[in-house]
Amino acid sequence: MKVTLRTDVLTNNNKAADFNRELFESTKTLVVNIMSSPGAGKTTLLEETVRALAKKYRIAVIEGDLATERDADRIRAMGARAVQINTHGGCHLDARMIAATLGELDLDEIDLLFIENVGNLVCPSGYDLGQHHKVAVLSVPEGNDKIPKYPQMFMRTELVLLNKIDLLPYLDFSVEEARKDLSEINPESTLFPLSARTQEGLHEWFSWIEGAYVRCVRQ
Amino acid sequence: MKSMHEMALMGDILQLVHEDAAEKGLCKIEKVELIVGEIANAMPDALRMAFDIFREQNSHLFTKQAQLVIHLEVAEAECILCGEKYRPEQKIALCPNCNVPSGKVLTGETFQVLSYEGSLEK
Ligand SMILES: Nc1nc2c(ncn2[C@@H]2O[C@H](COP(=O)(O)OP(=O)(O)O)[C@@H](O)[C@H]2O)c(=O)[nH]1
Ligand SMILES: [Mg+2]
Repeated sequence: MKVTLRTDVLTNNNKAADFNRELFESTKTLVVNIMSSPGAGKTTLLEETVRALAKKYRIAVIEGDLATERDADRIRAMGARAVQINTHGGCHLDARMIAATLGELDLDEIDLLFIENVGNLVCPSGYDLGQHHKVAVLSVPEGNDKIPKYPQMFMRTELVLLNKIDLLPYLDFSVEEARKDLSEINPESTLFPLSARTQEGLHEWFSWIEGAYVRCVRQ
Repeated sequence: MKSMHEMALMGDILQLVHEDAAEKGLCKIEKVELIVGEIANAMPDALRMAFDIFREQNSHLFTKQAQLVIHLEVAEAECILCGEKYRPEQKIALCPNCNVPSGKVLTGETFQVLSYEGSLEK
């Protein structure tokens, strides 16, 4: 007997994402899903973000980076709540993992929730977690070819944080070329060159968060 | 990392099939058909490998010869300026005619379980 389904493979994920989204909206929590290759600087950027914004906002971070508590500890040291998800070696976070974690967080008491996805430029891009915004971090040492090589990631992220610009003098990375490649894949996305190390350019990212928070609360 | 991803996807696919089959009282799945878009972020070969592994681990659910059929969906984009339709490769939004980022993806992102075949429980 043949049964026709025509069901999206990610149906169950998307149901969980909708569940998360409703929760985030009803509690007015701004949720940002941060993706990059391993070592691009997600945790360092989040440390700096918590340091700069913790006085004004109640911040929590969900850490999806593989099986250690190391990144969560770094965030806690900066004064934010951090919950570690163990993906058991899995290559991405899915919406059900996030839903299962939300019990540990009192969303009514949180203004900004950042999700540090598993370090990987391929797999996390297709999974809706229910977030308001998807942000990619690309670091200068990874090279200019990453944007055209991983279009599935960059076509789905509205903001790219180009990190480690303090290293530009030592490398042949071209910021202009990155902007051009990005616009050819996703004309609606924005790129902020910055350095979590020297703090250069971080204010643009912080203002972006503040703007996104205002829009999230007004809805 | 990559085949790990297809294992996770195949887990989702078989969960959908299994849920539906249980509802209809079907067992011994003989065939699963998928539609996989070119830019859907899933590699057909890795999906086939993942299917074989699941089939072996779940012999109560599948017949020994159970097969996975993948229908590929070609990617197509359309330029919002000149209407040119093209097959997007890496630079998804770049219209080859206007040479500006004006493309909209029409197809190629589909990733669906099209159908499955099983027999009624005895
Ligand atoms: N030079 C430089 N190094 C950085 C910068 N941001 C992060 N790093 C370093 O890059 C490495 C990986 O950073 P981490 O935040 O753990 O990356 P993650 O894997 O994406 O979370 C660490 O050694 C950081 O100190 C930066 O802006 N400039
Ligand atoms: Mg990290």
